[in-house]
Amino acid sequence: MSKAQAVQVSPLKQFWLKWRFHINILLILIPLGFMPKYFADAAMFRGDSGLGANQVSDIQVGPYTLDLAELRDEAPRADGPAGHFKLFNAALCKACTTEVKAVYLRIGKPRSLRAAGTIFFGAPYRMITSLPVPPRTRSDAQVWITIEGWDGSMHQASVPLAQASPATVAWLEKQGGTK
Amino acid sequence: MAQSTKKSKSKLWFLVHSWLALPIWFFVLIVCFTGMLAVVSQEIVWLANSDVRASKPSDGAERLSFQQIIDALHKAEPDMAVRMLVQPEGSHFALAASVTNPDGTTPTLYVNPYTGVIQGKAPDFNFEAFTRALHGWWLVPFTNGYSWGWYLVSLLGLPMLASLVTGLVVYKKFWRGFFKPVRSGHGSRIFWGDVHRLAGVWSIWFITVISITGIWFLIQAILGDNHITISSEPIVPVIAREDVPLTADGSPAPRIDLDAAARIATEAIPGLEITFISLPSTAYSHVEMGGRGWYPLMFQTASVNPYTSNVDSKFLLEDRSALEFVTESMRPLHTGDFGGLAIKLIWFFFGLVLTLMVLSGLLIWTKRTAQATAAALKRTDRVARAQPARSETSVEAQP
Repeated sequence: MSKAQAVQVSPLKQFWLKWRFHINILLILIPLGFMPKYFADAAMFRGDSGLGANQVSDIQVGPYTLDLAELRDEAPRADGPAGHFKLFNAALCKACTTEVKAVYLRIGKPRSLRAAGTIFFGAPYRMITSLPVPPRTRSDAQVWITIEGWDGSMHQASVPLAQASPATVAWLEKQGGTK
Repeated sequence: MAQSTKKSKSKLWFLVHSWLALPIWFFVLIVCFTGMLAVVSQEIVWLANSDVRASKPSDGAERLSFQQIIDALHKAEPDMAVRMLVQPEGSHFALAASVTNPDGTTPTLYVNPYTGVIQGKAPDFNFEAFTRALHGWWLVPFTNGYSWGWYLVSLLGLPMLASLVTGLVVYKKFWRGFFKPVRSGHGSRIFWGDVHRLAGVWSIWFITVISITGIWFLIQAILGDNHITISSEPIVPVIAREDVPLTADGSPAPRIDLDAAARIATEAIPGLEITFISLPSTAYSHVEMGGRGWYPLMFQTASVNPYTSNVDSKFLLEDRSALEFVTESMRPLHTGDFGGLAIKLIWFFFGLVLTLMVLSGLLIWTKRTAQATAAALKRTDRVARAQPARSETSVEAQP
C-alpha cells in the first residue's frame, strides 16, 4: 500500500498544505501596484509635472497675473471636524514677485482684506493653500483671488469653481443630494 | 501528571510562537529588511553620491553661516527662491537646501557648508524616502488620514512583541543562552535552531524597542485618524497685520536676515542648537529654526518675528509634558537616528539579525514540518493498516 493511498489527500488539499504559508508573498503586489503612483506623486511634489490639474493661466488680478491650479483633480478631502479642504497651487508672474505681499483664496467674494480667505504659502513661483470648501457651497460659486501689495493696495479677480476644480463641483452636487 | 500538563502547555506556547509570523513570514521579512536599509539609507546615499558629502576645500576652512549660504546661493542663482536650509546630523553631510525655481520646480540642492557651492541636486529617485515609504506604509498613498499600508505595517508590532514573549517562554533558561555556540555539524535544522535562539536572546532589547515603538505608530495613526492630539506644542499665530510695515514704494518691508534671527533666538534661549532654519513662508510668517536639545531624542524650535526681532514662540524640552517625553521618543528609538553613526550601525546590525530571525524561523519550520510530515505519514500508514479511516493529525506544532 502506498503512502498516498493511505492518507488519501486530494491534490487540491495537498497543494494548499504545501503553499498556504507562502501565499503572503503576494502581499508584495501591493507596493508594486502603488509604485507608479508613488513616483508620480513624488514628481508632482517636486513640481516636475507642472503646477497641478485644471490650470487656469494668466488670471489678471489688478496689475498682476497669476496661474491657479488644483493640486489634484479630485473632490475635497475631509479633515475631521475642521471640514473639507481642497489644495490649490498658484504661481505669480515673474515680474511681480517683489511687489506682491500676499495672495489669498476664498470661495465667494471677500468683504475686506481681513476676510480675504486662506493665504498662499511658499515661494511665489509655486505657492500652496488649503481652501475650505463648505458642503453647502453652490456649484456656480466663484473662487476669489485677492492680492495684497506691500504698499497696502488690494486687487481681486475670480474664476468659476467649476473651471478651477470640476471635481469639487461634482462633489458639491452630490452633497446637495444628501444634505 | 504535573509534568505532562507543563509539557502540553509549552507545546501550546510553541504553537502560538510559530503561528505568529508563519502565515505572514514574507511580509515580516521584507518589512524587517527595508527597515534595516532605511536606518542607514542616508549613509548609503553618502557613499554612493559625492554631491552629498561636505568636503573641506582646505584644512583651515570654516563653515559658513546660514545667511552666508543664502547669499552664495543667490549669487549663483539670482532668481531662485530658498525656502529652507537643513544641516543633516554629522558634519560630513552637505547642507540640504529646499528651493523653488522660477519654472515652479522645487528640488533639494546639496550645498557645500564651507564654500556655499551647489554640489548637485537630489536625484529624482530618492533612495531614503523610498526605503522609508516602503518600510513605513508599503507605498500605499495617504488619501484620507493615515494610509492603510501604515496600519498594515504598524500592526506587525503586536505579533512581534508576542513572538518575543512566547519565544522566551518556550526557550527554557534562555538567560543561559548568550554564549552557547552554534552547532554546525548536526544538520541544518539544528544549525538554524541554534542561530535563531542565539540571535533571539541577544536581540531581546532590540525586539522590545522595535515592537513597542511599532505599536506606538499604530496608536499614533488611530489617534490621528480620530483627531485626538496629545501635543502641547503651541500653534504659532501669524504675525499681526500691524506688525508688518507698509512701504510707500511697494517694495517688500525689510526683514532681519537669518544670522540675526539665529543670534536672537540663541541669545534668548540658552542651549538652543540650530540645525535647520526656514525663511518666512508668507509675509506674515516667522523665521522658524530648531535642532536637538540636550536630550537627543527631541527637537527644540523657535519662531523669530523678522520685523520686530522678537522670539514670538518657542517649544523647548521643558515645555513638554511627561507623556510627550515618552511619545516623542518613540520615533527616534525606532529609527536609531539620535546619536550619530554609531547608534545607526547598532540599529542596522540588529535589524539584520532580526531579518535573519524571520528567515531562520521559517527554515526551522519548513525542515521540522518536512520531517514531522514524513513521520506522520509513516504513522498514518501504520494506523491505516491496523484500522482504516483516521482523521488527519495536525503536524506543524512538533517542537
